[in-house]
Amino acid sequence: MTRSRSRYPRFTLLVVALAVGRASLGGQARADVMAAPPPAAPDLADPEPAEEVETEGFVLPSGTAVVPPLTLMGYVDFGFADAGGNGTSYPAGDNRVPADYGVDTFAPAVNSRGDVASIDSDGRVTNGFLPRSVNIGGRPSFLLNVVNQELRYQAPHVPVMAFVRLQVLPRWGGDGAGNVTPVYVDQAFGRVTLIEGRELFIAGGKFDSVFGIEYLDNSSVYRTGITPSLFARYTTGTALGTKAFYRQQIAPLWSALSLNVAATNGSNFVEALQPTDASLTGVPLVSARFGYELNLPSVQIKLGASGLRGPRNDQFDRRALLEMFGFDARLYVAGLSLSGEYVHVDEDEGAGGKQTGAGAYLIASEFYARGFWGQAAYALTLARASLRAITPYVRYERREAWFEGFRPITVARVTAGMRIDLWGSLILKGEFLFNQEVAGAPAVENNVLTTSVVYSW
Amino acid sequence: MVIASLVGAILIAAGTGGAAGSAGQSVPITPGRETPLQITVKTPQDLAFKTEVERQYLILNLMAGGRMAYEAGDFARAAYDWDLLLKVPSLSPEVARVVSPLLAEAQRQRGGAAAPVATGTPAAPAASQETPPAAAAQAAAPPRATTVSGSVNGGGAIGPGAAVLWLTRLDGPTPLPHRSRRPRVLNQASKAFVPHVLAVAVGETVAFRNDDPYFHNVFSLSPGQGFDTGLYSAGGVYNKTFTRPGPVELLCNIHASMVGYIYVVNSAYYTQPRANGAFVIRNVPPGSYELHAWHESAAAVVKQPVTVPASGASGVVVRIPGDRPPMVIVPDKYGKPRQTQLGY
Repeated sequence: MTRSRSRYPRFTLLVVALAVGRASLGGQARADVMAAPPPAAPDLADPEPAEEVETEGFVLPSGTAVVPPLTLMGYVDFGFADAGGNGTSYPAGDNRVPADYGVDTFAPAVNSRGDVASIDSDGRVTNGFLPRSVNIGGRPSFLLNVVNQELRYQAPHVPVMAFVRLQVLPRWGGDGAGNVTPVYVDQAFGRVTLIEGRELFIAGGKFDSVFGIEYLDNSSVYRTGITPSLFARYTTGTALGTKAFYRQQIAPLWSALSLNVAATNGSNFVEALQPTDASLTGVPLVSARFGYELNLPSVQIKLGASGLRGPRNDQFDRRALLEMFGFDARLYVAGLSLSGEYVHVDEDEGAGGKQTGAGAYLIASEFYARGFWGQAAYALTLARASLRAITPYVRYERREAWFEGFRPITVARVTAGMRIDLWGSLILKGEFLFNQEVAGAPAVENNVLTTSVVYSW
Repeated sequence: MVIASLVGAILIAAGTGGAAGSAGQSVPITPGRETPLQITVKTPQDLAFKTEVERQYLILNLMAGGRMAYEAGDFARAAYDWDLLLKVPSLSPEVARVVSPLLAEAQRQRGGAAAPVATGTPAAPAASQETPPAAAAQAAAPPRATTVSGSVNGGGAIGPGAAVLWLTRLDGPTPLPHRSRRPRVLNQASKAFVPHVLAVAVGETVAFRNDDPYFHNVFSLSPGQGFDTGLYSAGGVYNKTFTRPGPVELLCNIHASMVGYIYVVNSAYYTQPRANGAFVIRNVPPGSYELHAWHESAAAVVKQPVTVPASGASGVVVRIPGDRPPMVIVPDKYGKPRQTQLGY
């Protein structure tokens, strides 16, 4: 095109001038045309294109919203899982009590909620630190992991939004904590944007954690893989309270700073570990995350630091504190995403017993956990209507935890899997979890193969 | 002397010899070379003289320029030049005789490819490009352009006015659209793209202007149309030229509720309907066409044949199926889904 422009500028002007019948104009006028910069390009046979006389684009009629005020979204997560051994992390012949103090009961996770294959409570004494179970033991089984339905309402003329997420969790069997099929109110909150044009809002109700980053993809449709990390039990639970979010854009640096602060009845331990919708002490926990993000056209970096402090969640004694802090980092470039998080958890000893999601228990030992997870994923995007993307991923995590008076348990896990996105509404996932008892707990066969089919609407 | 040489050159090229004399053969033919043509015009005779000189100069450029393009394998350019040449009033029949076969060959070699359009030069004339080769020599009287009109139905809650319509010829190449030299403007106002849908010609520039008192961003993840403006504040403008035909979905990385569309058209015959769906496509030569309709609520472009008689086509009805649901989960500029309840 450049070549054409340099070769033919002058005579083209003449073509135009002659063809529109102005060749007989005065000579001086013609000379002006010759000397002048090229005018707006006319067209010999079509001097005024239709689009310029008809309309300059389509403007939405008043009151028409691109996104309807009320939107219903949902998904169903159906899977198949095969956990090694008996589906627990309890080794045969291990008679230590309480049993959940000597093993990593969360190791054989089989689905997006971190539900384990089995808790094997047969004859063992636990102290309430139990995950929710799908009760399949070591039997390869199909699973209806969750039916999730969300409702979002954005008021048309006021900056108010309401959001509800309900989850049906079909669980069958009779091994204790996993034998019910609840309709779980995962979230229900209202939100008000305080200043027009500012990324500032306050919310009240039951909402996501503000600690760390794993809560961001705590649903099957958002998480790259299937299972959450070993730390999700501490950071991804929802709680009742109020929170505020503010983000300040720094346009010249393609950057932004954000602050997320919450005061809640309970911590962000998952619901299996805590009664989440009532404060036992009446004193709220305060949690916050400060974040920095760099949003270049093709590279994104996000860094964050989080903290939480307040009464221990399972205590009536407000002096027994839970303190957490963590750091997170994410890098995204050209389909490659790297993410990771460090989490540090300290729980004071409680004065009396404790109340967990599994019931009332006698001992409230000091508890400590430290560790990290890191994940690499590459999304190969395909411009096809049916096959949208293929994403292989791998995650490594390591966790050291101990109850006071018991030997620290160090476990590691490698998770490798693949995600396939189809038609924009169907996701196929498959992954393998290699669980390792590194120190403090006997090695046990508890690796997991799990798959998931997620259909969203 | 220079003018005499140029005139001589064209006469030589036309095979007439005669008045060309020796001067014509000594001047290299260089189409597009700046020729001063400084002729003083003081009398009607001067004007007539100058007009004829320019006419001859035009004939030279088109004739020889087309030949050079032809020999360089640029058949589209050659066809373009010679097609224009044959429209010059009172053209010597001898020129038409020698050019017409070459024009037909150039058009054959060009096939369905559209003629080039360069920035700063006029767009290829619509009438010229759809002229069948056999009729090129008689192209001094091209068929009169007419209109195609009708209505768009459907379009869901957004309405039929959000469609973009264009015609492609089935019995010849489709001319490229006229390009505005000024950027087309698409505003961001009250957290919305205004207009919501804008049809632009391929190669046109769109100025994204932030009319809100806070930061905005515009990005697109549409295949082959990706771009990212970064953040820009109130009154800021970002220009983007769209060179590939097709839909461009516009999103804002800050405000997930903002969705808009640009459709880049590579046909001279396109329009956007009114809000009630009524549309008119003007300046359409008679012939056989395929009418295309894009709409955000349709999963694919709707296509239907349209025959345009000399009197024009009216009452054309386009139905938008509405089989593409509205976007519920909006991606960020990296393609990751956003959860708007979180505020990100």
